[in-house]
Amino acid sequence: MKKNNRDENFLPERRTFLKAAAGFMGSTLLGGIPFRAFAQAAELAPADRCFVFVYFSGGWDQLLAFDPRDPDEFTADRASETKILPGYNLINDSRFSSRPILPDERSGAGRPNIDFGPAVGERLASHYDLMTVVRGINMNTLGHEVGYRYFLTGKLPIGSAARGSSTATEIVGQMKPRVPIASISYNVESYNDRYGGYANALRVSRRDDLLLTLRPSAASQQLDSEIEKQLVDFRGQPINCEQAAYGTRGVGTTYSNSRDQMQQVLSQGLEKSFQFQDTTNPEMEAVRTRYGLATTGSIDNEAGRAATVATALKKGIAQCVTINLTGGLDTHFGTQLTHASNQRRGFDALASLVDDLRASPHPSGGNFMDHTTIMVFSEFARTPLINASGGRDHHLCSSALLMGAGIKHNYVFGKSGDIGMSPGTFDLRTGAADPNGSNIFPEHVIATVLASAGLDYSITRVDPLRPILA
Amino acid sequence: MRRLVLTAALLALASGCQKSEEKATPPPLDGQLEPVPNPHTNDNYEPLPDPEAQGGSVGRAPRRLTVSQLDAAILNAVGRRWVTPDGRDGIDVRASSLGRADFALVSSENTEPNLVFAKFLEDGARYVCLEQSKAEIAQADPALRTLSRTLPGKWDDLRKLTDAQVREFLVYNSTRFWGSPLTGDELTKWVGLFTQAATRVETLAGTTKKRDQVLALVCIAMLTDPRFITY
Repeated sequence: MKKNNRDENFLPERRTFLKAAAGFMGSTLLGGIPFRAFAQAAELAPADRCFVFVYFSGGWDQLLAFDPRDPDEFTADRASETKILPGYNLINDSRFSSRPILPDERSGAGRPNIDFGPAVGERLASHYDLMTVVRGINMNTLGHEVGYRYFLTGKLPIGSAARGSSTATEIVGQMKPRVPIASISYNVESYNDRYGGYANALRVSRRDDLLLTLRPSAASQQLDSEIEKQLVDFRGQPINCEQAAYGTRGVGTTYSNSRDQMQQVLSQGLEKSFQFQDTTNPEMEAVRTRYGLATTGSIDNEAGRAATVATALKKGIAQCVTINLTGGLDTHFGTQLTHASNQRRGFDALASLVDDLRASPHPSGGNFMDHTTIMVFSEFARTPLINASGGRDHHLCSSALLMGAGIKHNYVFGKSGDIGMSPGTFDLRTGAADPNGSNIFPEHVIATVLASAGLDYSITRVDPLRPILA
Repeated sequence: MRRLVLTAALLALASGCQKSEEKATPPPLDGQLEPVPNPHTNDNYEPLPDPEAQGGSVGRAPRRLTVSQLDAAILNAVGRRWVTPDGRDGIDVRASSLGRADFALVSSENTEPNLVFAKFLEDGARYVCLEQSKAEIAQADPALRTLSRTLPGKWDDLRKLTDAQVREFLVYNSTRFWGSPLTGDELTKWVGLFTQAATRVETLAGTTKKRDQVLALVCIAMLTDPRFITY
């Protein structure tokens, strides 16, 4: 099962490599900073293969999203028998259909094979020709942190402590992309248990922190230019064996690497790419129009986050982005409308992202969606029956959405049960229901994502869902 | 028998009344490393393991400071908090990205010294060091200073400091920031950094000469050194 790693992305041009190597040697010998040369030699170019991991925080209702049911069949009268109540008629909002959405046929894409819950909306559903929906996933937990970390790493946590690396870390660890920031984790945890610092995600909790990380220190906090140079040169000096023995070792090395990475990132002025509210830049106006962003006020919302993801990929700033796109889904109390509205904000932003990537040509040919795999997940689902408080509680059986490169399109794998939406058993080699088969677990989905890019998926200890692979 | 018992009792009493030979511990001096005598001066302790036997390192693996520890460490070392332009505490504002758990999505503190941590520490170090240096250049009483406590009451051209004064300044501050004094070749390197910067500021035009930047430089370098963020 273990595969040899193939690093298809890492194809440095000879001139660039020589330039960087000469700079590295020269600066080492002359006492400068090595990464300055790399920063000058590196030209921003999008990774040939990109990944986006989209997290819906709180546990989503699958009846409203990717595993809908026909309300005419699953009626309130039969709820005691089926243990399923779609409750679409309880939403009472014209933005939401009272029936599952079957999108219009897209020209040349064939008839849609996927039906969607009302919260997904027509905009995202219209991209059915890029999607695979995996239904009937057994999340094995009803704890928020456990389910969330399970899907981030593809390994069931020990207690609530994550095991292994995040999938994004695993990807950049294997692919070693030539982008300034291999992976961005936006309000999501990130783990690295076996790769060097190069695979660490830039982990921020909000947009302002991302901009602050990419922005050079304020002019008022700069030293005299010559003294700045003295400081940079001083930090680049080697240390002796005794200092190494008594020094800060692993933490110190990671910190030093992070500082070098910081120098590289700051030298490239990446912050400007995310200044969506800059009214003097026509490029930013186009971003605002596409994502519906205002020129003033906070844009740290679903649309702003989607625009951040698109920019990071299209500008060649990052290869992987893991993002907490929307929240407010842990609706044990309240109305169906609250949950549906919170989901819709996330799905609309996702639709804008896919629209954008689909309309943007990739330098290697095709559009960005041809080079990007998107996985959308949540920690678990919500109960198919509505509780006494009008909300839904935690439910084991969830779904995931895969889109884009490396996977089959317009395809549904797996199914949840028609009684109580229980996780089904399947022959995972074919996808057919099989009473003697296996459950689908998050690690199967993660293995499939890794396999879709030809990466080593042995860390998941399962085979990918081969029918999904393109 | 009675005489024997009496003699023994007198001897015991005499030995009990003997004045203790223990010397009183002198009060610790400012910046003194070992206010109590080192107990490991005899041969009754286990020497540290040979670094060669454990991958060239000594002792347990260092850990990064947590966000709260970092906040307290900056305040104690520099004597000033990081404040953002809008008046908020710089550490608190960025605490979640620095790794502090929010106990909603994240229940354990992340102490990885990653890119975000490095950048924010650099920003914080620049703010506190520059502000403190500016304040200290105007402070005539050394006892009220933090970074330049070992420098004379009034100082102007830092090139005029003797080598011993520069070394005392660096040893004091390294002890203050890291808990261990600079010594040997490394101290000489830091003296070189100080001297270079002191020379540079005197070439600058203007009357102020930006001499505070020499203090700020040393402060920033020490605050962003791996020894400051680990324990």
